[in-house]
Amino acid sequence: MMIPLTIDNQKVQVPAGATLLDAARSLGIHIPTLCFAAGYKPSTSCMVCVVRVEGFKSLVPACGTRAVGNMVVTTCDDGIKKARKTAIELLLSDHVGDCVGPCERGCPANMNIPLMIRQIAAGKFEDAIRTVKKDIPLPAVLGRICPAPCEKVCRRAQADGAVSIRLLKRFVADVDLQSDNPYRPECLQSIGKKVAIVGAGPCGLSAGYYLRQAGIECTIFDDHEYPGGSLRYGSIDQNILPLEVVEKEIDPIMSLGIIFKGNIRVTQGVSMEELKRRYDAILLAVGELSDGQAEKIGIETKDNKIQVTRPEYYTSRNAVFAAGGCIGSRNLMIRAVADGKEAANAIQSYVLGQENSVNRQYNHPMGRLEKQELELFLKQSSNFGRIEPNSEILGLTAGQAQDESRRCLHCDCRKADSCQLRDAATGLAARRNVWPNQRKLFEQITACEKIIFEPGKCIKCGLCVQTSKNAGEQIGLSFEGRGFEMKIVAPLEKTLTEGLQKVSMDCVKICPTGALSLNEMIE
Amino acid sequence: MNKVDHDIIEQITERIGRDANHALPLLQAIQTHYGYLPTEALERLCEVTECQPSQVWSIATFYDQFRLKPAGRHFVKVCIGTACHVKGATQIYEAFKRYLKIPADKDTDAERLFTVEKVACLGCCMLAPAVQIDDVIYGHLTNETIPQVLQDFLEQQKQAAGTREGTKTKTLQGQVRICLDSSCRAVGSDKVYAALQKAVAESNLPVKIKSTSCHGMSFLAPLVEVVTNDGTIFRYGNATVADAASILRRHFQPATVTARVKSSIDHFMQSLLDDRLAEGPIRYSLNIRDHSIDGYLNKQVRIATEFASEFDPLDIMDYQNNGGFEALKQCLTERTPEVILEELENAGLRGRGGGGYPTHLKWFAVKKAQASQKYIICNGDEGDPGAFMDRMLMESYPYRILEGMAIAAWTVGATEGYLYIRAEYPLALERMKQAIENCKRLGFLGQNIFESGFSLNLNVYAGAGAFVCGEETALIKSIEGKRPAPRLRPPYPTQQGFNGFPTLVNNVETYVLVPWVLRRGAEVFSALGTTESKGTKVFALAGKIRRGGLVEVPMGMTIRQIVEDIGGGVEDDKQLKAVQIGGPSGGCVPASMADTKIDYESLHTAGAIMGSGGMVILDQTDCMVDIARYFLEFTQNQSCGRCTFCRIGTKRMLEILERLCRGKGSRGDIEKLQELGKQIQITSICGLGKTAPNPVLSTIEHFRDEYEAHISGRCPAGKCRDLICYSITDECIGCTICAQHCPADAIAMKPYEKHIIDQQVCIRCGTCKTVCPANAVEVK
Repeated sequence: MMIPLTIDNQKVQVPAGATLLDAARSLGIHIPTLCFAAGYKPSTSCMVCVVRVEGFKSLVPACGTRAVGNMVVTTCDDGIKKARKTAIELLLSDHVGDCVGPCERGCPANMNIPLMIRQIAAGKFEDAIRTVKKDIPLPAVLGRICPAPCEKVCRRAQADGAVSIRLLKRFVADVDLQSDNPYRPECLQSIGKKVAIVGAGPCGLSAGYYLRQAGIECTIFDDHEYPGGSLRYGSIDQNILPLEVVEKEIDPIMSLGIIFKGNIRVTQGVSMEELKRRYDAILLAVGELSDGQAEKIGIETKDNKIQVTRPEYYTSRNAVFAAGGCIGSRNLMIRAVADGKEAANAIQSYVLGQENSVNRQYNHPMGRLEKQELELFLKQSSNFGRIEPNSEILGLTAGQAQDESRRCLHCDCRKADSCQLRDAATGLAARRNVWPNQRKLFEQITACEKIIFEPGKCIKCGLCVQTSKNAGEQIGLSFEGRGFEMKIVAPLEKTLTEGLQKVSMDCVKICPTGALSLNEMIE
Repeated sequence: MNKVDHDIIEQITERIGRDANHALPLLQAIQTHYGYLPTEALERLCEVTECQPSQVWSIATFYDQFRLKPAGRHFVKVCIGTACHVKGATQIYEAFKRYLKIPADKDTDAERLFTVEKVACLGCCMLAPAVQIDDVIYGHLTNETIPQVLQDFLEQQKQAAGTREGTKTKTLQGQVRICLDSSCRAVGSDKVYAALQKAVAESNLPVKIKSTSCHGMSFLAPLVEVVTNDGTIFRYGNATVADAASILRRHFQPATVTARVKSSIDHFMQSLLDDRLAEGPIRYSLNIRDHSIDGYLNKQVRIATEFASEFDPLDIMDYQNNGGFEALKQCLTERTPEVILEELENAGLRGRGGGGYPTHLKWFAVKKAQASQKYIICNGDEGDPGAFMDRMLMESYPYRILEGMAIAAWTVGATEGYLYIRAEYPLALERMKQAIENCKRLGFLGQNIFESGFSLNLNVYAGAGAFVCGEETALIKSIEGKRPAPRLRPPYPTQQGFNGFPTLVNNVETYVLVPWVLRRGAEVFSALGTTESKGTKVFALAGKIRRGGLVEVPMGMTIRQIVEDIGGGVEDDKQLKAVQIGGPSGGCVPASMADTKIDYESLHTAGAIMGSGGMVILDQTDCMVDIARYFLEFTQNQSCGRCTFCRIGTKRMLEILERLCRGKGSRGDIEKLQELGKQIQITSICGLGKTAPNPVLSTIEHFRDEYEAHISGRCPAGKCRDLICYSITDECIGCTICAQHCPADAIAMKPYEKHIIDQQVCIRCGTCKTVCPANAVEVK
């Protein structure tokens, strides 16, 4: 028997027993879910999938509500959106843990520092350089001169000194540059778009590096003979940053097919109008503006800084972008490098005629650690203090780097990239700290050798309980207590390891958040 | 850890069964044996039964009744129900812990003699604040009487249980009736009963002493009623052991003139009521003053509580002689289910559990469902703090409930059923079990009832302390031995209930009304009440009311009539501020709306709900923010935890309210409460969550200024401890009584001088204000 119903003004017939979620999906209508998993009994717990049924006072969870003949269902209106968002914000208000580490959030380029560190620890230096260069094209340079804001926020700094992130990054870069075959990213085939970059300093180089990877032709104009800008021509102490390192690091960038036109001053050697004619977009990365420079370019400034919109990096002139020192980011070189990367993304969207897809991912902050929380983290890592290099000029040895990397507390979430709560929060533009409260303490339990259970990230959906039950685990998992204090545990005061003899991996997979995760992220 | 005896587990499983659905009674039996649930015992249980570790653990940790750690020898259960709350239950709880020197994070004293716990509601609201120590209830506690209560309890323990002797057969000159319900026992009615028995035996008086159903006049308990053979009734309120002999002598042997004045039906023993001094924790005086009991009795219409106090609750002959089982017999032998449904429809009977769903529609839904098996359940899980109607009905009219259930079962085609009763009601459990046995013996239950071919097997099932089990899908899961988290409806239990079969779930009071409706006819019933709400409703009248107790009123009576004409007005001549109706799902109706009629629709309009019938009277000293916080704390604590909104949303609301009560609120908090409250109402899947914000939203609506005052750091009612301070005025006579009684030693003893309260030490318990003979303590 088929059941007729109407969803968002579309008529549909579904088999008896089908839920409203099934019905909506059969029409291609998207309803966000979190605690729902196909093949499992709906736990109707998270309330992210609520919809409105005509004649019902309450909103109902689509995952668990069976279709009844002639129901009239609305899957999206302001009230529904608000309820979904509130559901997520409430879950977030009870969520203990960081999505990404504070180091990654503190890094202007948002480099995945914890991943790099784990790769170093595992001796996978080639993977590590990939991780680094995904966000930072000049790690050997920055590994020597960056003031390392990442280390200032490192949680280990609360105990016995931050992890030596800058030197680790430098180590990875040096190993790479000294190898026979330094890392070069894959570049897409040309998409037939051309961008002119004005200025071959860290910002311009960075932009070129990422634009090339996106298959966009790049020409860098600079008034010096060689690329490098302040790195080469600035006032940096040669002992700290030898020219050799600069050159070695710029080489693989330029070798991606960037055309360099040196000794050309824009507005003198080549006019803006000409650039505009010949290129699809222009990026101004000229470093600090000299007097009157902006007027010559014909662009609006304030306090001698070019005004741009964020995160698009648009200037007041059509198709002209600006980043780095000329918009005021110069003080921190890593900021200029990050600008170059972000401007490249913005330009890519622009030349492709796409909406700028910078969708800020939700990041949950745990805040400062309590003493006992720090102790818990310290237990999971090496117990010696920060390693200092034997010589500042040589940096860390491989052994030192690996040892140092084992000092990382791993306070970032192991499932940051697959967490459905984070995705839902991003999708619904949920805000953090809407319901301020005294947060619960962070807890972490290691089980079955490589499973990590972090109860503070659990949304109490019970999918793991179902999984263990379906698998016929002898002890299994269970809810303990009720209400706000409810927890998932192995029953009868058993350990999680005793509880999950067969399906620990399945539980990790089914867990929609980082509550259950794999300890070893690097396969 | 003491070794778990495998034989014990074996005996328990042998007695109860090995199926997984017996998990709850199995756990209860283990706890009864050990005083807690030893993990080893649970492991053994999983080995020898079908119960799974995850099932056992999720249940053992869900219900309040279960403990996983050993406890003291005796349990002190401090009632924190609404009526007790407004009368200072928190202070009593703290005082017990202080007296027993139990640290804040522990619940058991060093000698492991007493474990002090909070309990949702003992259902003895008119004894507020009340406490239950093992099976003994003490009422009207003060910080001061706690040592005496504990002493009394321990002495009682020492004495061997007295035997109860039956009266020798003789030509009776009359009857003496006394209610032995748990609340009446708590004020000593069992002792008076024993004294009466003793006096009868010693003097060989020609009289029968009878324990009866509750009269409802709790403010007079223990109430001794003497019925002479000519039918005259004499009532003695607040009787004591010492009064027993003289009462009997007055009527059943040449009367000795005593100083006491006797009273006929409309005339009470004024002196008995007035002369008594508060001697101890159990006995108390109540001033009736200018109000007679007439109003209390005559404005009421008794259907559910028909023949109140006239017969022994378990005397099945009494029940039969008063029309009992007539309706059942008629139904089984003369009427068709269709006729019964029509009669209920004409009567306009609606469910008394809270929702007010038309009874005949629910019955019809089960009747028409096609299934090989159907079940009937009586919901006696009366968990609302401030409500005790169902307890009284079960203790006093067990047969009426069973008759109603039998009629319902026959109408819908159910042959198996359960009475799910709160664990906190031991007497109700005992009486219902006994009543079922008696009915079976006489053929009112069991096989082939009234030779009709209809059979009905009923079982009593004890809850274990979880408010959410009052929700029908949770209740069913609880009986099935599952973790009682409510599930999404539909499907309704009428389609898929117990074990997946169609199941009729009605509240105690609904079943109780059924025999009367069918015996007397729909017209008589529907003549009472309003257009939409017919018949009567039983309320538990408690809080700041002069005469609290169980009242049954016709629908349509106003709140004011109940408070003033029946309850005798607000206690201590204070002003009525609001009436909380419907417990944690209900709301507060302000005094300005006291003319609101008692019917489903009017109450809903006023922001409250009929609910199960708790009615707590609040006066000007009650803080509405505190009341809202109190109820939300209750529901938040009772949430099963399934839905995000109820699990986390109520917690966040509670945190805001707690901040307000501590004077730490900020602008925007009221709006946040409203916003989140509305979200919780529309997104929770069960009634607990949907209604949890009601007390908050209704108090914001009617008493917003009080919320705003709290944001500014003031509690206008002088209730919120962090916002008030006690001080001693110039009226102080220097008697030192306050200093003697202060439990925190915050007052230095200064004879003949004005005393001073050390604000740093003061715990704001209010003892000084209570004991001061010169009224020299003020709260600001």
